[in-house]
Amino acid sequence: MGPLVPQEIIGANWNLFIAFAIGVGFGFVLEQAGFSSSRKLAGMFYGYDTVVLKVFFTGAITAMLGLLFFSLFGWIDLNLVYVNPTFLGSAIVGGIIMGAGFIMGGFCPGTSVCAAAIGKVDAMVFIGGIFLGVFFFAEGYPLLKDFYMSGSYGPLKLHEVLGISSGVLVLLVIIAALGMFKLGEMAEKKWPREEY
Amino acid sequence: MTIRNIVFLGMVFLGVVIAMVPENTTKPYKLTAEEMVIEVQSAAEMVSADNVAHWLISKDPSLQLIDVRSPDEFQKYHLENAINIPLSVILEDEYRDIVDQGVKMNVLYSNGTLDSHKGWMILRQLGFENNYVLQGGLNYWFDTIMNPQAPSVYSADEEFAKYDFRKAASGALGGGGAVTLTAPAKTKAKKPPIIRKKKKKAPEGGC
Amino acid sequence: MKTKYMNPYLAGVLLGLVLLMAFFFSGRGLGASGAMKSVMVTAVDVVAPEHTANSDFYGKYVGEGKSPMKAWLVFEVLGVLVGGFLSGALSGRLNWKIEHFPGISSNRRLVFAALGGILFGFGAQLGRGCTSGSALTGMAVLSVGGFVTMAAIFGTAFALAYFFRKNWI
Repeated sequence: MGPLVPQEIIGANWNLFIAFAIGVGFGFVLEQAGFSSSRKLAGMFYGYDTVVLKVFFTGAITAMLGLLFFSLFGWIDLNLVYVNPTFLGSAIVGGIIMGAGFIMGGFCPGTSVCAAAIGKVDAMVFIGGIFLGVFFFAEGYPLLKDFYMSGSYGPLKLHEVLGISSGVLVLLVIIAALGMFKLGEMAEKKWPREEY
Repeated sequence: MTIRNIVFLGMVFLGVVIAMVPENTTKPYKLTAEEMVIEVQSAAEMVSADNVAHWLISKDPSLQLIDVRSPDEFQKYHLENAINIPLSVILEDEYRDIVDQGVKMNVLYSNGTLDSHKGWMILRQLGFENNYVLQGGLNYWFDTIMNPQAPSVYSADEEFAKYDFRKAASGALGGGGAVTLTAPAKTKAKKPPIIRKKKKKAPEGGC
Repeated sequence: MKTKYMNPYLAGVLLGLVLLMAFFFSGRGLGASGAMKSVMVTAVDVVAPEHTANSDFYGKYVGEGKSPMKAWLVFEVLGVLVGGFLSGALSGRLNWKIEHFPGISSNRRLVFAALGGILFGFGAQLGRGCTSGSALTGMAVLSVGGFVTMAAIFGTAFALAYFFRKNWI
């Protein structure tokens, strides 16, 4: 059955409308979770507020479980779902640079849009920074191209690398996440914060 | 119970379930049983021996004969340019590009039509296009194409035309019929259109 | 202590369901930085069309028949703006403000926000996606790249947290 647009069950011209509707849901949930506050987001790294950890992992696990169960029931053809290709070198270095940006700016791109929507000026400045960052990358692309393309493994999946079934991997992620949630809750007790 | 505990329990429960059930990455059967009933009734998968003979003689490059019998039988006799894919291995990866493609017309054959139909049904249910079955199988092929019987004198003209063609074909294909030089083009074989394989659209993604 | 925000685990489940719907309908996950790239590319294309036509990078997105603004992610991010606004309006959180730790000045906060944005924008291009596009979506489809990016982002942020602690605590 699904995914509906790639299988042409829903016309491709609906795709952008669907994108918008999904974006509304995404933005709404992010804001309700408190991701529109950079102090809440940064709290993750000082232990006073681990909402990022909780929402992020619960969200990822829900989607993982959903995809596997949908596939099990024949509701979605996983071969038609986009799997981010793995480029090891650029994924690690890009991630490191993003991590530095996260701790300095207190947002990531998605949350900054959400925060800008409710009037956070710092988020708007952050978005301006993103434009500049993209510009720098675009201008430096000829120099970065080789590295950008290095370590290509295609759409590699973690359970294939580990040689276990996808279901077992998800269970392991769940167990690891529950452990981290527990740690996060302990940290929040240790470093209490005022509400803002 | 708090929301937190409900979520935790739900995750663990579903995680254990998904870890225990066998993996299902794709739904293998693309056609439902009802769709298969309609397809089988229409008998559109059948191609006549005459048509196949015609394509063989004209060396139609889009024709691919597939012999689903055992390698032994294939060794003893097979149609010109046929390839051997026994039923037992028809789903193996190395033959995937042959049975699931959009440029050629595959004609499956066996001695009768039972095995070729078995193969065809498996492939069709997987959603593969452009696979057909040789009507009557090799047995009928021998009776009509290789050793054509002259029609009775009272037969219609087209019966004679068919007979002439079969005799000619028999000669061209190395059968026992007398070689006549009648042009085989009399019976213009109509070919079902080759359905181009729908490219699996790799959905765009990324940030 | 009562929080005015949604229960994080409930929010996480809802986030996962939104992501699942993106997979189910469009066969792809969420994202954010890709839309900003589209905006950037369009802007550069308007200002200096010759430059974009000759560039390896821009050339992927502009040219005959390609319109970077008519992209899935652009519409999704427009949706995020609307969704965030609706949520803020419902919960009474709409107001212009520069949010920062009381121990630092607004200007300092803005400077760091801009620097962080630049790094994030650059890193997201290099890493083929940001926290939503690469880490969250990638993890959901069990992509190795998704797990690696997630670990690199959070690992680095934790490692550098000490040096930027004055900004936050």
